Amino acid sequence: MSLVKLENARKDYITGEVATTALKGIDLSIEAGRFISFVGPSGSGKTTLLNLIGCLDRPTSGKVFVADAEVSAMDRKTSARFRGENIGFIFQNFNLIPVLTVYENVEYPLIMVQNVPPEERRRRVTEMLDKVGMADQAHKYPAQLSGGQKQRVAVARALAPRPRLVLADEPTANLDHATAYKVIGLMHAMKKEFDTTFIFATHDQKIVGEAELIYTIEDGLITETRENAAAGGVK
Amino acid sequence: MDNLPLDLVIPEKGLAAIRGILDGNPDVLAYSERIRFGAMVSNFAQTTGIRLTAVAPEKESRVCPALPGRIKQGDADPAGFVKPGHVVLPLTIAAGLNLKIGDDVVLVATNKEGSVNGITFKLSGVSENIMGPQGKDGYIHLNDARSLLRIEDGEITEIAVKLRDFKRLGKVYPALKKSIAALPGGKAEAGSGGKPGGGFETHSWEELSPFSSIAKIVTLLILVVRLVLVFIVLVSILNVMMMSVYERIGEIGTIASIGTPPSKILALFLVEGLSLGLFSGLLGSLAGAGILLLLQAVKLKFTFGAMDLVLAPAVPLAEMLLSLAVVVIISTLASLQPALKASRMEPVEALRHV
Repeated sequence: MSLVKLENARKDYITGEVATTALKGIDLSIEAGRFISFVGPSGSGKTTLLNLIGCLDRPTSGKVFVADAEVSAMDRKTSARFRGENIGFIFQNFNLIPVLTVYENVEYPLIMVQNVPPEERRRRVTEMLDKVGMADQAHKYPAQLSGGQKQRVAVARALAPRPRLVLADEPTANLDHATAYKVIGLMHAMKKEFDTTFIFATHDQKIVGEAELIYTIEDGLITETRENAAAGGVK
Repeated sequence: MDNLPLDLVIPEKGLAAIRGILDGNPDVLAYSERIRFGAMVSNFAQTTGIRLTAVAPEKESRVCPALPGRIKQGDADPAGFVKPGHVVLPLTIAAGLNLKIGDDVVLVATNKEGSVNGITFKLSGVSENIMGPQGKDGYIHLNDARSLLRIEDGEITEIAVKLRDFKRLGKVYPALKKSIAALPGGKAEAGSGGKPGGGFETHSWEELSPFSSIAKIVTLLILVVRLVLVFIVLVSILNVMMMSVYERIGEIGTIASIGTPPSKILALFLVEGLSLGLFSGLLGSLAGAGILLLLQAVKLKFTFGAMDLVLAPAVPLAEMLLSLAVVVIISTLASLQPALKASRMEPVEALRHV
């Protein structure tokens, strides 16, 4: 059964009188529990595709379904609630809230989005920080962390609300290779642990090799779909 | 007011009715019947104008307890600071006419029929100059005024009333005014057949005081200053909150993308503006209260004319709380536009600012 489904999704950006087509009619079906990569050069449409799946943006035409809900037809309020309940995000620049501690950053979506009771919240935050190896840094602020540590906190924040789908846009772009592999390894481990579907966009070929299913995107179209039997080898 | 029309009087019958109202009112501490009129005072060589208030001294002292204290030379006994046949003159007139205590003066006045009368009085007291535009008020006994003005019945021109509790003025004054206006008499009785409310006027001290209009102007100026301050608070908070939103577009994009509803983003920024107003208002109120307490402890003294004044400012607690409430409300209102802007941001647009 498909967790994510796109039907002829097209996205045009209009700047002044110039229209730029970022996606030229994508048809895509992704099953739950997969570890998927969108790969392609800069400007190919990876981020736009992730934005449509994450209901951060709407297609110019076509339809987008996530967990059987047509997210492309949702209004702002409904799509915000849907994201909070079903989708986790990991960003290239980590996007942690600088005035909150590591603990508070992970706790934020549980308070402000899901209204989880305090006891359950404490249990989940502690569990997630343990899983990503950041329990001993819980009291620190993002500015006191390295890039790899920030991204581990971002992974914990994305998974704390128990989403069905995690979207990561260039999650390793600001990390050195060793750290990048560790973060991807962590994401892989979390995917197994929580049976969460991960989709990440990257143009790093070495990182791409860790995905179970690889979609190559070029010029707004999916040009290749490849299963990767050797995925999940990182430690 | 220097030459009050003496045909506007409270006749004996009306006076009795008013006495009945005042005696029956538990809020009234004392009242003093007066005849106020313009006259000429002469030392037999020089003459000048004067405004005279004829009083029964023991009653006047109960209504104006500070009055005997203002008599700096001569007899200042509260029960009899002006006896029949005597006059109290203000310092300016006494000095101008080279008068000493015990000297004879002639008071000349015109009565309501237009005839002129003069009587010799003995100077029994000299009062200090009172601050304000007048400073030419003298006092004689009520019985002497009736002789001077050839008033045969018990008519007077005004009654001064003192309340037991000044704070109850706002409630007692309208009630008294209503009761007295309902009485038949006064000018109306003489001229229009005694219709109720036609003759007697009742005024609060504020309406009669020459400082009342000055106080009103000062109140208006304070209101203008307050409006300016409200505007400054509005612009300052608006500026701070706009900067706060612009500096955090990336963060707004992040919290919106992870599912924070627009209503909660709006609430976050409104609470920030409210907190800013509340805490800065509290801080300002505490600082102001501290300065007030300091001034009250130091008791700065200064002289204004003939008066020694002590600066002991006070601000009612209700006034402080009102100012605090205004600051909090204005801060919240000023935050509304930036908060709406933040809540309406598209997450995908906001994330590009990271």
